[in-house]
Amino acid sequence: MAGTTPRIAEKKKVPVYCYQCVAGPDLLKVEVEDGIATRIESNYDIADRHPGGGRVCVKAYGLIQKTYNPNRVSRPMKRTNPKKGRDEDPGFVPISWDEALDIVAAKMREIREQGVLDEQGLPRLATSFGGGGTPTQYMGTFPAFMSAWGPIDQGFGGGQGVKCYHSEHLYGELWHRAFIVSPDTPYTNYVINCGNNVEASGGVAGVWRQADARVRGLKRVQVEPHLSITGALSAEWLPIKPKTDAAFLFALIHRILIERDWREVCDVSFISNDTTSPYLVGPNGYYLRDPETEKPLILDLSDGRAKPFDADIAEPALEGTHRASGIEMGPDGAVWTHEEAEARPAFQLLLDHVSDFTPEWAEAQCDVPAERIRRVADEYLAHAMVGETIEIEGKTLPFRPVAVMLGKGVNNGWGGYQTCWARTLLAALVGALEVPGGTLGTAVKLNRPAYDRHLTVRSKGDGIMDYPFNPTTRDEWTAKPHIRNAYKTLVPLAADSAWSPALGPAHLPWLFQKKPPESWPEQAKPAMWINYRTNPAISSWNAPEVAERIAEFPFTVSFAYTRDETNHMADILLPEATDLESLQLIQIGSTKFTEQFWKHQGWAVRQPVADPVVDCRDITEIATELARRVGILEAYNAAINRGAAGARLADDKAGYDFSLDATRPHTVEEVWDAVAKAASHTLTDGAEVHGIDWFRENGFMLRPFPQLDWYLYPTLKEQGLRFEMPYQERLMRHGAELAERLHEIGIDWWDRQLEEYEPLPGYKPFPDIWANYASEVGKDPDAYPLWALTARSMQYSWGANVGIPLINEVANNISGHKGVIVNRATGRKLGIGDGDPVVIESPTGVTRGRAVLREGIRPDTVLMIGQFDHWATPFAKDLGLASLNSVTSLSLSLTDATGSGADLARVRLSRDTGRR
Amino acid sequence: MSEAQPRYGMVVDLNRCVGCQTCAIACKHANDTPPGMQWRRVLDVERGTYPDVERLFLVTGCQHCAEPPCVPVCPTGATRQRADGLVTMDYDTCIGCGYCAVACPYQARTIAHDTSWYYGEPTAQEAHVAHGERDGVANKCTFCVERVDEAAALGRIPGVDLEYTPACAASCIAQALHFGDFADPESNVSRLARDNASFQMHAELGTDPQIRYLYDVPNATPGREAEAADTGDAAMANPENPLVGERQAFWDARAAMNFTLGGLSGGLMAIAGLAAAFGMLGADALVDAYLVAAALMALGLFFVFLEIGRKLRFLYVLLRPQTSWMTRETYAVAAIYPALALDVVWPHPVLHAIVALAGAAFLYCQAQILFAGKGIPAWRAPSIPWLIGATGLLEGAGLLAFLMKVMDTGEARGAAWAIIVLSVVSGVLWHRYRRTAADRGIGPLARAELDAVAPVVTIFGHAAPALLCLIGIAISGPMSSWAIGLGGILAIAGGALWKFTVITRACHQQGFAIPMMPTRGSGTRAAPARLEPI
Repeated sequence: MAGTTPRIAEKKKVPVYCYQCVAGPDLLKVEVEDGIATRIESNYDIADRHPGGGRVCVKAYGLIQKTYNPNRVSRPMKRTNPKKGRDEDPGFVPISWDEALDIVAAKMREIREQGVLDEQGLPRLATSFGGGGTPTQYMGTFPAFMSAWGPIDQGFGGGQGVKCYHSEHLYGELWHRAFIVSPDTPYTNYVINCGNNVEASGGVAGVWRQADARVRGLKRVQVEPHLSITGALSAEWLPIKPKTDAAFLFALIHRILIERDWREVCDVSFISNDTTSPYLVGPNGYYLRDPETEKPLILDLSDGRAKPFDADIAEPALEGTHRASGIEMGPDGAVWTHEEAEARPAFQLLLDHVSDFTPEWAEAQCDVPAERIRRVADEYLAHAMVGETIEIEGKTLPFRPVAVMLGKGVNNGWGGYQTCWARTLLAALVGALEVPGGTLGTAVKLNRPAYDRHLTVRSKGDGIMDYPFNPTTRDEWTAKPHIRNAYKTLVPLAADSAWSPALGPAHLPWLFQKKPPESWPEQAKPAMWINYRTNPAISSWNAPEVAERIAEFPFTVSFAYTRDETNHMADILLPEATDLESLQLIQIGSTKFTEQFWKHQGWAVRQPVADPVVDCRDITEIATELARRVGILEAYNAAINRGAAGARLADDKAGYDFSLDATRPHTVEEVWDAVAKAASHTLTDGAEVHGIDWFRENGFMLRPFPQLDWYLYPTLKEQGLRFEMPYQERLMRHGAELAERLHEIGIDWWDRQLEEYEPLPGYKPFPDIWANYASEVGKDPDAYPLWALTARSMQYSWGANVGIPLINEVANNISGHKGVIVNRATGRKLGIGDGDPVVIESPTGVTRGRAVLREGIRPDTVLMIGQFDHWATPFAKDLGLASLNSVTSLSLSLTDATGSGADLARVRLSRDTGRR
Repeated sequence: MSEAQPRYGMVVDLNRCVGCQTCAIACKHANDTPPGMQWRRVLDVERGTYPDVERLFLVTGCQHCAEPPCVPVCPTGATRQRADGLVTMDYDTCIGCGYCAVACPYQARTIAHDTSWYYGEPTAQEAHVAHGERDGVANKCTFCVERVDEAAALGRIPGVDLEYTPACAASCIAQALHFGDFADPESNVSRLARDNASFQMHAELGTDPQIRYLYDVPNATPGREAEAADTGDAAMANPENPLVGERQAFWDARAAMNFTLGGLSGGLMAIAGLAAAFGMLGADALVDAYLVAAALMALGLFFVFLEIGRKLRFLYVLLRPQTSWMTRETYAVAAIYPALALDVVWPHPVLHAIVALAGAAFLYCQAQILFAGKGIPAWRAPSIPWLIGATGLLEGAGLLAFLMKVMDTGEARGAAWAIIVLSVVSGVLWHRYRRTAADRGIGPLARAELDAVAPVVTIFGHAAPALLCLIGIAISGPMSSWAIGLGGILAIAGGALWKFTVITRACHQQGFAIPMMPTRGSGTRAAPARLEPI
């Protein structure tokens, strides 16, 4: 009634952030009444500065039920049954926090007395966290504890599976500092999207920006085996055969370079001056270099002379075979000196390379009609607007409103190199790389410093950006793995940052623990394994087998929200305070994963919003207490002071010192109060210094972030650098060296992966790799005639949402959440009706669910959304949902050179006669 | 002086909606709805056959119609339409009869008869936000009316000021949902509706729904005309198709009992009264027949009483005689029983006539009640009131014939002729009802239900009674009245069969429709090539 007391304004609403998925963070407010968190809504205070209008997505609304879930682990627990396994009752009994921390700390002290490294030099302590770095947004000062501890094996995959874009991370960082690659959606007009389900996985910012773009006129062509959410919203869906995207993309390149006149349709200036296309390649496949400066040479057509790339070159040659002198620098210091040798520009090699990839050839590989391929290429060219410019914040930049997106299943595993290369090349050909409207990177995780990708643009020579390859030379190669997944040994591209363990072959430890390959030492299991916000017993490839490996660990500490399949094998359960119960400050803004392109940057708070529900503790308190009991408190506090909680607490240059007294434990409030002051001081150059209480009241603090920083191109131009496209001389050299190293110590089981180190990636019939896998395990490939795929569920993904009935209720409105999506005709052929129970069998696994018959899927493909097949997680275990992770395989032959498998399996489908 | 009256509504942009369910869950938060109840629901719709397929997400919920079919049917006034267009619910007045729910062609209304909790037992939060007043009564989207009202009090603009905007629109992460004032030509929703092609769902039903759906894609996909979603029989016969209406569960066998017993008893009162007026029935026999009819009617009403969610409020049913046929039905009841009571102690032709007329009125009300169930295509067919009326009279005549045999009150030839005539009339109406079913929008699932019982209804409910009565008239002796009586019983059974079928089996809700699909998809559904940059 008008005139009565307004209530909305009087409601108590507590600001927090949601970073449950990699597409965050988004800010929200929790309504609180009488100490009870009642409702959630977006934090509208940030609506005009957040790239998703300040909204939160469906997942955030699950947080209330997540908090009040009666199935929570309500107290610390201790295992009483020493036997571990799926069929063993752990016999958990409640214990006090004191006892729980004592048990863990005693074990930790025991480990430290033995040495943090074992006899093989491997860390005795291992940790696994959920994917995408999201656990860091919830784990308070636990990173400081890890820093104080010393070497830790973080290479046991917490489950890439449904989550990881893998190849994109590695190659993206190599080529344009793009851990994640994104179109410049607000400016893009034409997008070729190979399977990226951005409307389900791109978070609020992704959905918001894409919707704006659609209404503005963006045309998107979706290329994928099933009609995803994103496909539904695209102008055109091309149902491609799984894992053949490289053929499709190669044919687009063929159309542009061979069938069309590239001199007319491409950005020749960009190709000549901003890529390594004109670099001359010598007879051995390495750049022909100036003998004195070792700089790669470019042939200047104006005088017919080969000159160092940074010389004044009037007319760089892109085509032809030329005669030039110089040296080639091969692997392991090999140098070939050439006098008037045959040399060809890298671009000519590219033209030769793609000459056979005709649309007709591609059609036979990927089932996309040749005329559609031609038309998509032509549309792409028409929209590229080569020559156009746009003014951004007063600076004129090239404007190229076309982009190519790649999905996870396209990216990860075999074929990832080819598709990532083709995508980046397609951008480079029309000058659409790292310019407005084009293909952009978001954040860096492998290059340093992580906080500013522009500062990672450095060169050690060759006119290209440097990259922190793991060394492969005889002197520097890490022959003995320093952690069990051996990323430094096997994957030069994985680099060596804090993220590298997760980006190496993170499933190999599980595989090798079962049976190490030849010439590979049997590695001792970690004496203690800690897992946090992850459930690898569900979220891994061949999850049932990973569960068996987890059961073999001698001592497992699980931060436990509810009982689940992984903590079923734990020795200690620690119920840490969850999303709405603990205190933390994180950095927000700038450019982050997926489509989080902000025009601001700053900090946001997460805080306890209501009265405690169970006997849980803030993880910062747990970390502090463990550090104290283990005897590493000073190092722990020092790590916090250095910035392990997100902000350096003292900075002489900036003129502030909020550092903690390293000798004593600090309360959670004290820690974050110091972080808050340092953060606000940094953000405002000392003009405004706020403690944690201010953040708790206001939620966030921002300062402007230049849009110009979305684009890397100007930074490369300033430094006179080029994008390393199309020719991959460095990769070729590292591959050759790595082959030498591995063969020197008798390892030949990585040979297939070594073949991938091609300077110009060739096409292989990638689907055959999965089809033939059946033979490897003694099965008949023909017995598995269908492809099984997965897709992201926006409602469930990340954040332990499978046990939340409210999420289940609304997710069920979207097709595929109640079962396996099967083409209607295929269902009819197999005698399977809508809702019928089905069994899906692969050569190595089996999963069960119900059929959901749809038209928007290839007849040879079945789709299982999300990750399910739970057997311990309350509520989820009763859903009866199938999971791709139960039928995928852990295998070296399914692992690509970057160390990743793929979310893909060959399966057969039948009616499950055992169930009604 | 007074400001222009706002007219609130929404615009849903089908090109923006990604089916994420954020609006659905935000609504559940804002309105504390119990498990399974979604005032805002987003459907996942497919069209076509591989490889020519489209997929789209369709926001559904109360359309706050300008001509809401739910409002006039409500017997209590619990659901009303405000001047600003909001269709509101008063939970304290609603008796939970479900009439509004079957009248709504948008499946917007639900009734939770049993309290339920997400984890079995209530959590502290659930207990805190529980709304006991909503148990057993009709629930639906309110456009977050309290926000709209507070906005008015504070001078805020719903749809612009997010805290004062319905939760679904405020939460939407694609800006697909817009709330605002259609009466203001410069409002957000007015501009969107003016600048874009849009449709209203089920506009042909005359409800003038206040949600407009935008379907056109500016610039992106010129060259292909928007088409309607597939509403062919093949698509609409698939119960998994989200566009297909489910069977309504608001009125079950208990309601069907009322339509059967009520039709029978109202018909009996009318026919018996008529028979007495023409001297074919004695006064005593008439009152006996009335008493039987009254008992059956009471039994039918008792079944309805068992159906309503808030039984103690049943008298609120009297509150809306202006518009509700359900209220009017109770007024007929209110006339019948006192008149009959008087008629028992003091039989009088005037009282006879009152009972007969009130019985006929009762039957008429029943016919109108079902016909006003606009959410159920099988109910709102134009044949329905005629069919209910004719069948009621047929059943009444049938029962009268049977009673005359049982009470041995003489020749039932008059009743027999009535049965013959009414059987033919009912048979013709039934045939017509079925023949025009598809044209009247009755879907293939409901038609299959009708088809399944049609031969039985025709043979035993119409043909056999007429034939038996003809035989009864043709022959004489005791077998004659037996034949007529049996014919009467078969007529009653036939009427019961089709009423139960129509009310509890062929009662599929309207479902949803997309008159214009956005131009996008695969194969022939794909948007055409665009070789010019925008």
